[in-house]
Amino acid sequence: MQEFINQFFDVGFMVDHFDEVLEGFWVTIQLSVLSGILALIWGLILATLRQLPGKGFLPVRVVTIAYIDVFRGIPLLLLIVLIAGGIPALEFLPESLRLPQWLGKPDNFWFGVLAITITYGAYMAEVYRSGIEAVPGGQMEAARSLGMSHGQAMRNVILPQAVRKVIAPLLNDFIALTKDTTLVSVIALSEVTLVASDIQSETFNSSALVLGALMFLAVTLPLARLVDKLISREQGRFTRGAPRVEAL
Amino acid sequence: MQGQVNSSGSMLSLRGVCKRFGDLEVLRGVDLEVKKGEVVCVLGPSGSGKSTLLRCVNLLEPPEEGDIHLEERSICRGPGSGTGEQSWELDFVRQRVGIVFQQFNLFPHKTALENVTLAQEKVLGRGAAEARKKGAELLERVGLGDKLGEYPERLSGGQQQRVAIARALAMDPHVMLFDEVTSALDPELVKEVLDVMRELAEEGMTMIVVTHEIGFAREVADRVVFMDEGVIIEEGPPAQVIDGPREERTKKFLGLVLAH
Repeated sequence: MQEFINQFFDVGFMVDHFDEVLEGFWVTIQLSVLSGILALIWGLILATLRQLPGKGFLPVRVVTIAYIDVFRGIPLLLLIVLIAGGIPALEFLPESLRLPQWLGKPDNFWFGVLAITITYGAYMAEVYRSGIEAVPGGQMEAARSLGMSHGQAMRNVILPQAVRKVIAPLLNDFIALTKDTTLVSVIALSEVTLVASDIQSETFNSSALVLGALMFLAVTLPLARLVDKLISREQGRFTRGAPRVEAL
Repeated sequence: MQGQVNSSGSMLSLRGVCKRFGDLEVLRGVDLEVKKGEVVCVLGPSGSGKSTLLRCVNLLEPPEEGDIHLEERSICRGPGSGTGEQSWELDFVRQRVGIVFQQFNLFPHKTALENVTLAQEKVLGRGAAEARKKGAELLERVGLGDKLGEYPERLSGGQQQRVAIARALAMDPHVMLFDEVTSALDPELVKEVLDVMRELAEEGMTMIVVTHEIGFAREVADRVVFMDEGVIIEEGPPAQVIDGPREERTKKFLGLVLAH
C-alpha cells in the first residue's frame, strides 16, 4: 500500500516538482485558450458558410460540408504529426510559415494550435449548426420581410439566438479540447504531460503525472459545473414564469 | 397612415399567378387588383392558398408563373425571375410591403422597442435616436407605450401581435399584409389586435387581410375575396360575398364558418 502511495501520491515529490509541472501546465493553458478561441471563431465561420442560401453558394456549401466531415473523421493525433512533420518540409513556403516562432513560442506550439483549430473548428461548426437549425424558420422570414439581407438577418437575428442555445455544448467541446492539447506532446512540446512524463522516466515516480492530472481537474471540474448550470438555466428560460435570463 | 390615399391608382395587380410546391399546385392562376387605400379581405378554407398568395406578394415564395405589379412595376417578370437573392425586385418589394404573421415571429432576444427599431437602423439606416422615437410612437399607437422594455416572452399573444404590427409599420410600408394574425390568439385577445387593424384601415392603409374573422371582413373590408383550391371563386363588396354569395362553394364555406 505504501508503495502504491509513494508511486502515485508522493506529496513531498509533488511539492519538489510543482514549479516544473506548473510551467508545463501554463503551456497547456496557453495552447488551450488560444486554440479554443480560434476554433470558436473558425467553427462559426464554417457554420455560416454552410448556411449560405441559393444555388450560387452550392459549391461553398459542398466544400464546407466536406471539410467538416473530413476533419471530424480523422484523428487529431495523426493531424498533429502530419502538420508538424509536413509543413517544415515545404521549401516553397517562407521560413516564417515553415518554422513559425511568433510571440516567442516554438514552432511545435503553433503546429499544435493549427491542428487543434482545424479539428475542433469542425466539431464546433456542427454545434453552431444545431443551434442555427433550432431557431424557428419564422425568424429568418420575419427578418427578411423587414428588408434585411440574409447576412444582416444571420448577424442580428439568427446567430444571437443560435449561440445562446449552444453555449453549454460549446463549453463541453472546449473541455474536450483542453484535454486533447496533451496530444501535442508527441511533437515534443513541453506541455504538462510531456514535462511530467519526463520526470516519471527519470525518477520512476508517477506522482508528477498525478499532479498534472490534478491541475487539469482544477480547470475542467469548474467548467463542467458551469455547463450544468447553463443547461438548467436554458431549460428554465422556457418554463412559464421563470425569471428572464439576461443577454450573454 | 402616410396619407397616400389615392383611390384611382393601382397599388397591386396580380395576373395569372401560379405557385407549386413539388407536385402540389397551391395557386392555379390568381388575378387580383388592389387599389391604393383599399382593404381586401381574403376568405377561404385552409389549404386554399390564401397564405401562399400573401407570401407571393412579398416574394417570400416567388411565384413560378404569372406577373405581379406593385405600384405599376413588375416585380416578377415571367417564370424563374424574381427568385434571385440579388434581384432589385426584392429590395423594391420589401421596402413597400409589410407583413404580419400568424405566429408573430418577434425576435425573442430583443425588447419590444428593439424589435421595432432593429430593421429601421439596419435597413433604412435611421439613427438610433430617430428609430427609437418612431418605435416608441408606434408602440404607443398600438397601446403598448408602457411595454417598450419588455421581452416578447413577457407579453401576451395579443400584445406580441401588436408589437409585430408596429414593427412592420416602422418601415413605412405602402401595403400591409396580414396572414391570419388572430388565429393563434386566445379568443379574448383577438379584439385588441383587430382594433389596431381597423384603425389602420380607417387611416387609409392599403391592406390585404387573410382572416377567418367574418365580422371583421364584413365591417372593415372594401372588398372580400373568396378563395378555394388555389383560385379566386368569387369577389365583391362584403355585403355581396358574405351575405349573398352566388357560388356554391362560398355558400358552403360561409355556412360552416358562420354556423358556430
